[in-house]
Amino acid sequence: MTHLPVEKRGAMPVIIQIENLVHRFADGTVGLEGVSMQVAEGSFVIIAGANGSGKTTLLRHLNGLLRPTSGTVRVAGIDVAKDLLRARTMVGMMFQDADSQIVGETVYADAAFGPENLKLDRAEIDRRVQEALAATGLAHLSGKRPHLLSGGEKRRLAIAGILAMQPRVIVFDEPFSNLDYPGVRQVLGQILQLHRSGQTILLTTHDLEKVLAHADRLVFMRGGKIECDGPPPALVAAAEAYGVKRPRAAGLGVEALSWMN
Amino acid sequence: MDELTGFHYRSGSSVLHRLDVRMKLLLLALFSAAGLHVNSAGLLLLGLPLLALAGFSRVAPSLHSRELRGLGLLLGVVFVARTISTDGAALLSMGTVVVSREGVRDGLQVCLRLILVFLMGSMLAASTRPADVKAGVQWLLDPLPFIPAERVGTMLGLIVRFIPLIFEEVSRTMDAQRARAVENRRNPVYRMVMFGIPLLRRVLETSDRLALAMEARGYTESRTGPELRAGRRDWAALAAGGCWLALVMAV
Repeated sequence: MTHLPVEKRGAMPVIIQIENLVHRFADGTVGLEGVSMQVAEGSFVIIAGANGSGKTTLLRHLNGLLRPTSGTVRVAGIDVAKDLLRARTMVGMMFQDADSQIVGETVYADAAFGPENLKLDRAEIDRRVQEALAATGLAHLSGKRPHLLSGGEKRRLAIAGILAMQPRVIVFDEPFSNLDYPGVRQVLGQILQLHRSGQTILLTTHDLEKVLAHADRLVFMRGGKIECDGPPPALVAAAEAYGVKRPRAAGLGVEALSWMN
Repeated sequence: MDELTGFHYRSGSSVLHRLDVRMKLLLLALFSAAGLHVNSAGLLLLGLPLLALAGFSRVAPSLHSRELRGLGLLLGVVFVARTISTDGAALLSMGTVVVSREGVRDGLQVCLRLILVFLMGSMLAASTRPADVKAGVQWLLDPLPFIPAERVGTMLGLIVRFIPLIFEEVSRTMDAQRARAVENRRNPVYRMVMFGIPLLRRVLETSDRLALAMEARGYTESRTGPELRAGRRDWAALAAGGCWLALVMAV
């Protein structure tokens, strides 16, 4: 495994600590094999790799949707396997398929689902939902039925549902899949805004071009292991060795890749 | 896939829209129960104020809606079946088929009952947000033993959420099969199996993903409950409805 020094944004405390994480599925398939990593609070990490490399499996350990076969995952010092509810409050997760992530019958009801699970009082729920919908630009759609939203709006609603739980880390699993160009820009803009406001972001993709310019750190996975970990400009050239397409304009510098320009 | 049925919420601020959902559900249950015990004249008396309220609150079902056409067909079938299957004084006879006076009376009564229930159902759906219907049902079920009210409420909400997804899967599966000339197959059993199995698989996969997403958002059965408020106006509406029912039953 290659570890390159990552440029530090000040000396931020570590928020995610994964130690020797192993995951084996019920049929014996190895999902993760001895993964260890630390993520500093406020950082923006991209986890890339081909299908089946273990990206989604790794993310699902962060909020206890999967439990380790061995090893530990700690978020803000708390062992995820021992306190699932706190882990799920601290780590918000956006899934690949936004459609099946939406639970509420209206935009408002969906954003309120998480805070209701936290048993907050109605006034606090209302405050959080209004804030989350305003932050994602969906306030004017609060009474609308979610299945009538566009692809980009559905993903922003999924983000609003996460924000209403006030997590410290947000995990995005392939957030740009099946989105058109305006949809990608909407969702990317939202992610960048969250990062600017200090959120820790972990994002999996096999399409580096859309987001690499904005990340602090790039991690390549293969066969359930972290193979390479460091700053994006130093690693991007090796992308194709890990089954990920190297951005065509990478030669111009990673900064030139942004889809927000 | 926008409006799947005529039974959808139409926003507004009418008296009916503002009425507490629990009162609406109670009145619906009371009027439905009363409808079983009154004759056609009584049914008309029950329906008239409801029709007026529906018109006033602009939630009357559209005469051109698909559901109303379906209801018309259902009523026709029920009426014909009743008129020819009830014994009594013959009004008209065609060979072995005899239309009886009692049959016509019974048929009319059953049809009026169905219209009353349909009218109340569409008024409730058009004037109440799905989340409030869910909250009302949950509140009414809460005191009943052995019924997990919270779970029933969540299930109701998910059904409302899931219907459009299922319809989308249906049309996607159908398109994919048409593109491979399934229409050339004449055997309906073959077509049903080839359509049903992939559809079921996709719907189950979707529900699996939904369950995972709910878990990720910390779903638990002890959650913040819905907020329902009943004011003086709501109690007055319940009392007025109750009085009207008592009057109709007495007459």
